[in-house]
Amino acid sequence: MNLTQELELFPDHTVTQMLFKEVKNAAELRQSAVDGRINGALINPTMLVNPFQVLVAANKAVHLQLIGKMKTRSLNSEIIFNLSPTNNISEAFKRFGTSDGDESVMLVVVHCKNESQLLEDIAAQVDGRQVPVEDVSWLSDLAKIRKLFKVAPQEETCGTLLDAVVCRMAIKDVM
Amino acid sequence: GGNMAPEKSATVPQFLRGAELVKQGAEARVYRTQFLGRPTIVKERFSKRYRHVALDEKLTRRRTVQEVRSILRCRRAGIPAPAVYFVDYTSHCIFLEEILRSSTVRDHIASTQQSASCTVQELDRDQDRELVQEQELEQLAQQVGQILAKMHDEDVIHGDLTTSNMLLRRSPEDRGSDLVLIDFGLSYISALPEDKGVDLYVLEKAFLSTHPHTEALFQKLLKSYSASSKKSSAVLKKLDEVRLRGRKRSMVG
Ligand SMILES: Nc1ncnc2c1ncn2[C@@H]1O[C@H](COP(=O)(O)O)[C@@H](O)[C@H]1O
Repeated sequence: MNLTQELELFPDHTVTQMLFKEVKNAAELRQSAVDGRINGALINPTMLVNPFQVLVAANKAVHLQLIGKMKTRSLNSEIIFNLSPTNNISEAFKRFGTSDGDESVMLVVVHCKNESQLLEDIAAQVDGRQVPVEDVSWLSDLAKIRKLFKVAPQEETCGTLLDAVVCRMAIKDVM
Repeated sequence: GGNMAPEKSATVPQFLRGAELVKQGAEARVYRTQFLGRPTIVKERFSKRYRHVALDEKLTRRRTVQEVRSILRCRRAGIPAPAVYFVDYTSHCIFLEEILRSSTVRDHIASTQQSASCTVQELDRDQDRELVQEQELEQLAQQVGQILAKMHDEDVIHGDLTTSNMLLRRSPEDRGSDLVLIDFGLSYISALPEDKGVDLYVLEKAFLSTHPHTEALFQKLLKSYSASSKKSSAVLKKLDEVRLRGRKRSMVG
Protein backbone atom coordinates (compact mmCIF):
# COMPACT_ATOMS: atom_id res chain seq x y z
CA MET A 1 0.00 0.00 0.00
CA ASN A 2 3.03 2.23 0.51
CA LEU A 3 4.45 4.01 -2.50
CA THR A 4 8.24 4.04 -2.47
CA GLN A 5 10.46 5.86 -4.96
CA GLU A 6 14.21 6.34 -4.85
CA LEU A 7 15.31 9.88 -5.70
CA GLU A 8 17.50 9.24 -8.75
CA LEU A 9 19.54 12.41 -8.16
CA PHE A 10 20.16 11.53 -4.52
CA PRO A 11 20.51 7.74 -4.34
CA ASP A 12 20.88 7.84 -0.53
CA HIS A 13 17.37 9.22 -0.30
CA THR A 14 14.17 7.25 -0.78
CA VAL A 15 10.67 8.68 -0.42
CA THR A 16 7.81 6.63 0.96
CA GLN A 17 4.21 7.82 0.93
CA MET A 18 1.46 6.30 3.06
CA LEU A 19 -2.19 7.31 2.85
CA PHE A 20 -4.61 7.03 5.78
CA LYS A 21 -8.36 7.53 5.95
CA GLU A 22 -10.70 7.72 8.93
CA VAL A 23 -7.89 9.25 10.97
CA LYS A 24 -8.85 9.98 14.59
CA ASN A 25 -5.66 11.52 15.98
CA ALA A 26 -4.65 14.20 13.46
CA ALA A 27 -4.02 16.82 16.19
CA GLU A 28 -1.80 14.45 18.15
CA LEU A 29 0.12 13.47 14.99
CA ARG A 30 0.70 17.08 14.09
CA GLN A 31 2.04 17.78 17.59
CA SER A 32 4.35 14.77 17.33
CA ALA A 33 5.71 16.06 14.05
CA VAL A 34 6.28 19.53 15.55
CA ASP A 35 8.08 17.95 18.54
CA GLY A 36 10.20 15.78 16.27
CA ARG A 37 8.72 12.48 17.47
CA ILE A 38 7.55 11.76 13.94
CA ASN A 39 10.26 12.19 11.35
CA GLY A 40 7.93 12.71 8.42
CA ALA A 41 5.77 15.28 6.66
CA LEU A 42 2.02 15.18 7.34
CA ILE A 43 0.14 16.37 4.30
CA ASN A 44 -3.48 17.20 3.57
CA PRO A 45 -4.27 14.79 0.71
CA THR A 46 -7.21 16.81 -0.58
CA MET A 47 -4.68 19.25 -2.07
CA LEU A 48 -2.93 16.50 -4.04
CA VAL A 49 -3.86 15.48 -7.59
CA ASN A 50 -1.35 12.66 -7.69
CA PRO A 51 1.52 11.22 -5.58
CA PHE A 52 3.98 12.58 -8.19
CA GLN A 53 3.40 16.05 -6.68
CA VAL A 54 4.93 14.84 -3.41
CA LEU A 55 7.93 13.37 -5.20
CA VAL A 56 8.61 16.69 -6.94
CA ALA A 57 8.36 18.50 -3.59
CA ALA A 58 10.61 15.99 -1.81
CA ASN A 59 13.26 16.01 -4.54
CA LYS A 60 13.43 19.81 -4.43
CA ALA A 61 13.59 19.77 -0.62
CA VAL A 62 16.55 17.35 -0.55
CA HIS A 63 18.30 19.39 -3.25
CA LEU A 64 17.86 22.67 -1.36
CA GLN A 65 18.97 21.04 1.89
CA LEU A 66 22.19 19.83 0.28
CA ILE A 67 23.06 23.27 -1.13
CA GLY A 68 22.02 25.04 2.08
CA LYS A 69 19.14 26.98 0.55
CA MET A 70 16.05 25.73 2.32
CA LYS A 71 13.40 28.34 3.09
CA THR A 72 12.17 26.53 6.21
CA ARG A 73 13.84 24.87 9.19
CA SER A 74 13.55 21.18 8.36
CA LEU A 75 13.37 18.83 5.42
CA ASN A 76 9.81 17.82 6.30
CA SER A 77 8.52 21.38 6.50
CA GLU A 78 10.37 22.17 3.27
CA ILE A 79 8.42 19.38 1.52
CA ILE A 80 5.15 20.99 2.63
CA PHE A 81 6.36 24.46 1.60
CA ASN A 82 7.38 23.15 -1.84
CA LEU A 83 3.86 21.85 -2.50
CA SER A 84 2.47 25.38 -2.41
CA PRO A 85 2.36 27.71 -5.43
CA THR A 86 3.31 30.77 -3.35
CA ASN A 87 6.28 31.75 -1.22
CA ASN A 88 4.15 32.35 1.87
CA ILE A 89 5.24 29.80 4.46
CA SER A 90 2.30 30.00 6.86
CA GLU A 91 -0.18 29.76 4.01
CA ALA A 92 1.64 26.68 2.71
CA PHE A 93 1.28 24.97 6.09
CA LYS A 94 -2.35 25.94 6.41
CA ARG A 95 -3.30 24.54 3.02
CA PHE A 96 -0.92 21.65 2.46
CA GLY A 97 -0.09 20.53 5.99
CA THR A 98 -2.35 18.41 8.18
CA SER A 99 -4.84 20.42 10.27
CA ASP A 100 -6.13 19.25 13.64
CA GLY A 101 -9.52 17.98 12.52
CA ASP A 102 -8.41 16.21 9.32
CA GLU A 103 -9.79 12.75 8.64
CA SER A 104 -7.28 11.84 5.95
CA VAL A 105 -3.51 12.17 6.09
CA MET A 106 -0.69 11.54 3.61
CA LEU A 107 2.40 10.61 5.57
CA VAL A 108 5.66 11.24 3.71
CA VAL A 109 8.98 9.88 4.95
CA VAL A 110 12.41 10.48 3.42
CA HIS A 111 14.72 7.65 4.48
CA CYS A 112 17.60 5.42 3.46
CA LYS A 113 17.01 2.23 1.52
CA ASN A 114 15.58 -0.78 3.40
CA GLU A 115 14.27 0.92 6.49
CA SER A 116 11.02 -1.01 6.79
CA GLN A 117 11.12 -1.06 10.60
CA LEU A 118 11.36 2.74 10.72
CA LEU A 119 8.40 3.05 8.37
CA GLU A 120 6.34 0.59 10.42
CA ASP A 121 7.10 2.49 13.61
CA ILE A 122 5.99 5.78 12.10
CA ALA A 123 2.86 4.29 10.56
CA ALA A 124 1.93 2.69 13.89
CA GLN A 125 1.43 6.15 15.38
CA VAL A 126 -1.51 6.83 13.07
CA ASP A 127 -4.93 5.89 14.39
CA GLY A 128 -6.61 5.34 11.03
CA ARG A 129 -7.10 2.97 8.11
CA GLN A 130 -4.27 2.73 5.57
CA VAL A 131 -5.36 2.66 1.92
CA PRO A 132 -3.35 2.48 -1.33
CA VAL A 133 -1.54 5.76 -2.06
CA GLU A 134 -3.07 5.84 -5.55
CA ASP A 135 -6.47 6.34 -3.90
CA VAL A 136 -5.42 9.92 -3.23
CA SER A 137 -7.11 10.89 -6.50
CA TRP A 138 -10.48 10.06 -4.90
CA LEU A 139 -9.79 12.60 -2.16
CA SER A 140 -8.51 15.46 -4.37
CA ASP A 141 -10.48 18.69 -4.15
CA LEU A 142 -9.99 19.60 -7.80
CA ALA A 143 -11.95 22.86 -7.67
CA LYS A 144 -9.87 24.12 -4.76
CA ILE A 145 -6.62 23.04 -6.42
CA ARG A 146 -7.52 24.77 -9.70
CA LYS A 147 -8.35 27.94 -7.82
CA LEU A 148 -5.28 28.01 -5.60
CA PHE A 149 -2.91 27.25 -8.49
CA LYS A 150 -4.83 29.57 -10.83
CA VAL A 151 -5.26 26.97 -13.58
CA ALA A 152 -7.57 28.20 -16.35
CA PRO A 153 -9.47 25.67 -18.52
CA GLN A 154 -7.35 26.46 -21.60
CA GLU A 155 -4.22 25.20 -19.81
CA GLU A 156 -5.84 21.81 -19.34
CA THR A 157 -6.36 21.55 -23.09
CA CYS A 158 -2.60 21.21 -23.59
CA GLY A 159 -1.72 19.17 -20.51
CA THR A 160 -3.04 17.64 -17.31
CA LEU A 161 -3.91 19.46 -14.10
CA LEU A 162 -0.99 17.58 -12.54
CA ASP A 163 1.39 19.10 -15.13
CA ALA A 164 0.01 22.56 -14.38
CA VAL A 165 0.51 22.11 -10.64
CA VAL A 166 3.99 20.61 -10.90
CA CYS A 167 5.20 23.38 -13.25
CA ARG A 168 4.19 26.06 -10.77
CA MET A 169 5.85 24.21 -7.90
CA ALA A 170 9.07 23.76 -9.84
CA ILE A 171 9.50 27.39 -10.84
CA LYS A 172 7.76 29.42 -8.14
CA ASP A 173 11.13 30.82 -6.95
CA VAL A 174 11.55 32.79 -10.18
CA MET A 175 7.98 33.93 -10.75
CA GLY B 1 24.61 26.15 5.68
CA GLY B 2 24.54 29.31 7.81
CA ASN B 3 25.88 32.41 6.13
CA MET B 4 28.33 30.63 3.86
CA ALA B 5 27.88 31.02 0.14
CA PRO B 6 25.63 28.28 -1.26
CA GLU B 7 27.58 25.36 -2.56
CA LYS B 8 27.55 24.38 -6.16
CA SER B 9 25.86 21.02 -6.22
CA ALA B 10 27.78 18.29 -8.01
CA THR B 11 25.01 15.74 -7.70
CA VAL B 12 23.15 16.65 -10.89
CA PRO B 13 26.20 16.69 -13.23
CA GLN B 14 27.28 13.41 -11.67
CA PHE B 15 23.83 11.92 -12.29
CA LEU B 16 23.90 13.10 -15.92
CA ARG B 17 27.07 11.11 -16.59
CA GLY B 18 24.89 8.03 -16.48
CA ALA B 19 22.16 9.49 -18.71
CA GLU B 20 21.77 9.16 -22.48
CA LEU B 21 23.14 12.18 -24.36
CA VAL B 22 20.63 13.25 -27.03
CA LYS B 23 22.27 16.39 -28.31
CA GLN B 24 25.51 18.26 -27.77
CA GLY B 25 24.93 21.90 -28.62
CA ALA B 26 27.09 25.02 -28.44
CA GLU B 27 25.50 26.21 -25.21
CA ALA B 28 23.69 23.21 -23.83
CA ARG B 29 23.60 19.44 -23.69
CA VAL B 30 20.30 17.55 -23.84
CA TYR B 31 19.91 14.20 -22.08
CA ARG B 32 17.19 11.58 -21.86
CA THR B 33 16.65 9.83 -18.53
CA GLN B 34 14.22 8.66 -15.85
CA PHE B 35 13.39 11.16 -13.11
CA LEU B 36 11.03 10.38 -10.23
CA GLY B 37 10.05 7.37 -12.29
CA ARG B 38 9.11 9.34 -15.41
CA PRO B 39 10.69 9.69 -18.87
CA THR B 40 12.48 13.02 -18.66
CA ILE B 41 14.60 15.33 -20.80
CA VAL B 42 17.36 17.25 -19.03
CA LYS B 43 18.80 20.37 -20.55
CA GLU B 44 22.16 21.37 -19.10
CA ARG B 45 23.58 24.77 -19.96
CA PHE B 46 27.32 25.06 -19.62
CA SER B 47 29.80 27.91 -19.38
CA LYS B 48 31.45 29.56 -22.30
CA ARG B 49 35.09 29.50 -21.36
CA TYR B 50 35.94 32.79 -23.02
CA ARG B 51 33.40 34.76 -21.01
CA HIS B 52 34.06 36.34 -17.66
CA VAL B 53 33.11 33.85 -14.94
CA ALA B 54 30.69 36.02 -12.94
CA LEU B 55 29.09 37.49 -16.05
CA ASP B 56 28.79 34.04 -17.54
CA GLU B 57 27.09 32.70 -14.41
CA LYS B 58 24.61 35.56 -14.60
CA LEU B 59 23.82 35.10 -18.30
CA THR B 60 23.44 31.35 -18.00
CA ARG B 61 21.13 31.73 -15.02
CA ARG B 62 19.07 34.34 -16.87
CA ARG B 63 18.60 32.02 -19.85
CA THR B 64 17.49 29.22 -17.56
CA VAL B 65 14.99 31.51 -15.84
CA GLN B 66 13.72 32.88 -19.17
CA GLU B 67 13.24 29.39 -20.51
CA VAL B 68 11.06 28.17 -17.62
CA ARG B 69 9.08 31.41 -17.43
CA SER B 70 8.23 31.29 -21.14
CA ILE B 71 7.21 27.66 -20.89
CA LEU B 72 4.74 28.48 -18.12
CA ARG B 73 3.44 31.52 -19.98
CA CYS B 74 2.77 29.41 -23.07
CA ARG B 75 1.13 26.59 -21.14
CA ARG B 76 -1.14 29.05 -19.33
CA ALA B 77 -2.35 30.24 -22.72
CA GLY B 78 -3.02 26.68 -23.87
CA ILE B 79 0.08 26.46 -26.07
CA PRO B 80 1.68 23.03 -25.63
CA ALA B 81 5.21 23.06 -24.20
CA PRO B 82 6.90 20.40 -22.04
CA ALA B 83 6.03 20.52 -18.32
CA VAL B 84 8.88 21.54 -15.99
CA TYR B 85 9.63 19.04 -13.22
CA PHE B 86 12.72 20.49 -11.55
CA VAL B 87 15.27 23.27 -12.00
CA ASP B 88 18.78 23.29 -10.54
CA TYR B 89 20.08 26.84 -10.75
CA THR B 90 23.51 25.84 -9.45
CA SER B 91 24.29 23.52 -12.36
CA HIS B 92 21.86 25.26 -14.77
CA CYS B 93 19.80 22.16 -15.48
CA ILE B 94 16.13 22.03 -16.39
CA PHE B 95 14.24 18.74 -16.03
CA LEU B 96 11.38 18.57 -18.53
CA GLU B 97 8.63 16.17 -19.41
CA GLU B 98 9.74 14.01 -22.33
CA ILE B 99 7.26 14.41 -25.16
CA LEU B 100 6.57 10.78 -26.04
CA ARG B 101 5.46 9.53 -29.46
CA SER B 102 6.88 12.63 -31.09
CA SER B 103 9.22 13.62 -33.88
CA THR B 104 10.56 17.02 -34.85
CA VAL B 105 8.65 18.93 -37.52
CA ARG B 106 11.97 18.99 -39.36
CA ASP B 107 12.16 15.19 -39.57
CA HIS B 108 8.50 14.95 -40.43
CA ILE B 109 8.73 17.36 -43.37
CA ALA B 110 11.95 15.79 -44.61
CA SER B 111 10.58 12.25 -44.59
CA THR B 112 7.30 13.30 -46.20
CA GLN B 113 9.16 15.12 -48.96
CA GLN B 114 11.48 12.18 -49.49
CA SER B 115 8.73 9.60 -49.79
CA ALA B 116 6.92 11.89 -52.24
CA SER B 117 9.91 12.27 -54.55
CA CYS B 118 11.30 8.72 -54.67
CA THR B 119 8.29 7.22 -56.40
CA VAL B 120 8.68 6.17 -60.02
CA GLN B 121 6.32 3.30 -60.70
CA GLU B 122 2.54 3.32 -60.79
CA LEU B 123 2.25 6.93 -61.70
CA ASP B 124 -1.46 7.40 -61.06
CA ARG B 125 -1.43 6.10 -57.55
CA ASP B 126 1.73 8.02 -56.81
CA GLN B 127 0.18 11.22 -57.96
CA ASP B 128 -2.66 10.61 -55.56
CA ARG B 129 -0.24 9.94 -52.78
CA GLU B 130 1.74 13.03 -53.58
CA LEU B 131 -1.43 15.07 -53.39
CA VAL B 132 -2.33 13.60 -50.00
CA GLN B 133 1.14 14.32 -48.70
CA GLU B 134 1.03 17.84 -50.02
CA GLN B 135 -2.27 18.43 -48.26
CA GLU B 136 -0.90 16.96 -45.09
CA LEU B 137 2.09 19.30 -45.13
CA GLU B 138 -0.17 22.25 -45.81
CA GLN B 139 -2.24 21.33 -42.81
CA LEU B 140 0.91 21.13 -40.71
CA ALA B 141 2.04 24.56 -41.96
CA GLN B 142 -1.34 25.94 -40.97
CA GLN B 143 -1.03 24.40 -37.53
CA VAL B 144 2.40 26.01 -37.09
CA GLY B 145 1.06 29.38 -38.19
CA GLN B 146 -1.76 29.15 -35.68
CA ILE B 147 0.40 28.21 -32.74
CA LEU B 148 2.94 30.96 -33.47
CA ALA B 149 0.12 33.50 -33.75
CA LYS B 150 -1.15 32.42 -30.36
CA MET B 151 2.35 32.61 -28.88
CA HIS B 152 2.97 36.10 -30.27
CA ASP B 153 -0.43 37.25 -29.04
CA GLU B 154 0.86 36.29 -25.57
CA ASP B 155 3.93 38.46 -26.28
CA VAL B 156 6.28 35.50 -26.08
CA ILE B 157 9.16 35.81 -28.56
CA HIS B 158 10.73 32.39 -29.03
CA GLY B 159 14.09 33.69 -30.23
CA ASP B 160 15.18 30.52 -32.02
CA LEU B 161 12.32 29.28 -34.20
CA THR B 162 13.33 26.35 -36.38
CA THR B 163 11.51 23.21 -37.45
CA SER B 164 13.74 21.31 -34.99
CA ASN B 165 12.26 23.25 -32.11
CA MET B 166 8.74 22.07 -32.84
CA LEU B 167 7.67 18.55 -32.00
CA LEU B 168 4.77 16.76 -33.64
CA ARG B 169 3.08 14.56 -31.05
CA ARG B 170 0.77 11.79 -32.14
CA SER B 171 -2.27 11.51 -29.92
CA PRO B 172 -2.68 8.14 -28.17
CA GLU B 173 -5.91 7.21 -29.98
CA ASP B 174 -4.33 8.23 -33.28
CA ARG B 175 -6.66 11.19 -33.61
CA GLY B 176 -4.28 13.50 -35.45
CA SER B 177 -1.25 15.22 -33.94
CA ASP B 178 -0.57 18.31 -31.96
CA LEU B 179 2.42 20.61 -31.99
CA VAL B 180 4.64 21.14 -28.98
CA LEU B 181 7.08 24.04 -28.85
CA ILE B 182 10.47 23.41 -27.23
CA ASP B 183 13.78 25.15 -26.53
CA PHE B 184 12.82 28.56 -25.11
CA GLY B 185 16.40 29.32 -24.09
CA LEU B 186 16.56 32.50 -26.17
CA SER B 187 13.00 33.58 -25.52
CA TYR B 188 11.81 36.83 -24.00
CA ILE B 189 8.65 38.85 -23.51
CA SER B 190 7.90 41.70 -25.92
CA ALA B 191 4.83 43.30 -27.45
CA LEU B 192 6.81 44.97 -30.27
CA PRO B 193 5.78 43.97 -33.82
CA GLU B 194 9.45 44.31 -34.78
CA ASP B 195 10.48 41.55 -32.36
CA LYS B 196 7.71 39.28 -33.61
CA GLY B 197 8.66 40.05 -37.22
CA VAL B 198 12.27 39.09 -36.55
CA ASP B 199 11.07 35.89 -34.84
CA LEU B 200 9.24 34.95 -38.06
CA TYR B 201 12.20 36.00 -40.19
CA VAL B 202 14.49 33.64 -38.26
CA LEU B 203 11.99 30.84 -38.91
CA GLU B 204 11.68 31.71 -42.59
CA LYS B 205 15.46 31.58 -43.06
CA ALA B 206 15.73 28.28 -41.21
CA PHE B 207 12.67 26.79 -42.89
CA LEU B 208 13.65 27.57 -46.48
CA SER B 209 17.26 26.50 -46.02
CA THR B 210 16.35 23.24 -44.24
CA HIS B 211 13.50 22.28 -46.57
CA PRO B 212 14.13 22.97 -50.26
CA HIS B 213 11.22 24.03 -52.50
CA THR B 214 8.94 25.01 -49.65
CA GLU B 215 8.34 28.67 -50.53
CA ALA B 216 4.65 28.02 -51.18
CA LEU B 217 4.36 25.98 -48.01
CA PHE B 218 5.87 28.77 -45.94
CA GLN B 219 3.42 31.23 -47.50
CA LYS B 220 0.62 28.97 -46.26
CA LEU B 221 2.15 29.18 -42.78
CA LEU B 222 2.21 32.98 -42.89
CA LYS B 223 -1.33 33.12 -44.20
CA SER B 224 -2.53 31.02 -41.32
CA TYR B 225 -0.53 33.16 -38.88
CA SER B 226 -2.14 36.22 -40.33
CA ALA B 227 -5.64 34.77 -40.04
CA SER B 228 -5.09 33.64 -36.44
CA SER B 229 -3.34 36.62 -34.85
CA LYS B 230 -5.14 39.76 -33.78
CA LYS B 231 -2.06 41.90 -34.41
CA SER B 232 -0.63 40.21 -37.50
CA SER B 233 -0.67 43.07 -40.01
CA ALA B 234 1.91 45.14 -38.10
CA VAL B 235 4.05 42.04 -37.60
CA LEU B 236 3.98 41.01 -41.26
CA LYS B 237 4.83 44.56 -42.29
CA LYS B 238 7.87 44.37 -40.03
CA LEU B 239 8.73 40.99 -41.52
CA ASP B 240 8.82 42.62 -44.96
CA GLU B 241 11.11 45.36 -43.68
CA VAL B 242 13.43 42.88 -42.02
CA ARG B 243 13.62 40.81 -45.21
CA LEU B 244 14.55 43.91 -47.17
CA ARG B 245 17.26 44.82 -44.68
CA GLY B 246 18.54 41.26 -44.84
CA ARG B 247 18.75 41.41 -48.64
CA LYS B 248 20.53 44.77 -48.63
CA ARG B 249 23.03 43.50 -46.11
CA SER B 250 23.76 40.44 -48.20
CA MET B 251 24.22 42.59 -51.34
CA VAL B 252 26.80 44.71 -49.56
CA GLY B 253 28.45 41.46 -48.48
N1 LIG C 1 10.73 17.73 -24.03
C1 LIG C 1 11.21 16.99 -25.04
N2 LIG C 1 10.62 15.82 -25.37
C2 LIG C 1 11.12 15.05 -26.36
N3 LIG C 1 12.20 15.34 -27.07
C3 LIG C 1 12.83 16.48 -26.79
C4 LIG C 1 12.38 17.37 -25.77
N4 LIG C 1 13.23 18.42 -25.70
C5 LIG C 1 14.15 18.19 -26.63
N5 LIG C 1 13.93 17.03 -27.31
C6 LIG C 1 14.74 16.45 -28.38
O1 LIG C 1 16.09 16.91 -28.24
C7 LIG C 1 16.47 17.71 -29.35
C8 LIG C 1 17.28 18.90 -28.90
O2 LIG C 1 16.56 19.68 -27.98
P1 LIG C 1 16.73 21.27 -27.93
O3 LIG C 1 18.17 21.57 -27.73
O4 LIG C 1 15.88 21.71 -26.75
O5 LIG C 1 16.22 21.80 -29.24
C9 LIG C 1 15.18 18.10 -30.02
O6 LIG C 1 15.31 18.34 -31.39
C10 LIG C 1 14.28 16.92 -29.74
O7 LIG C 1 14.48 15.89 -30.66
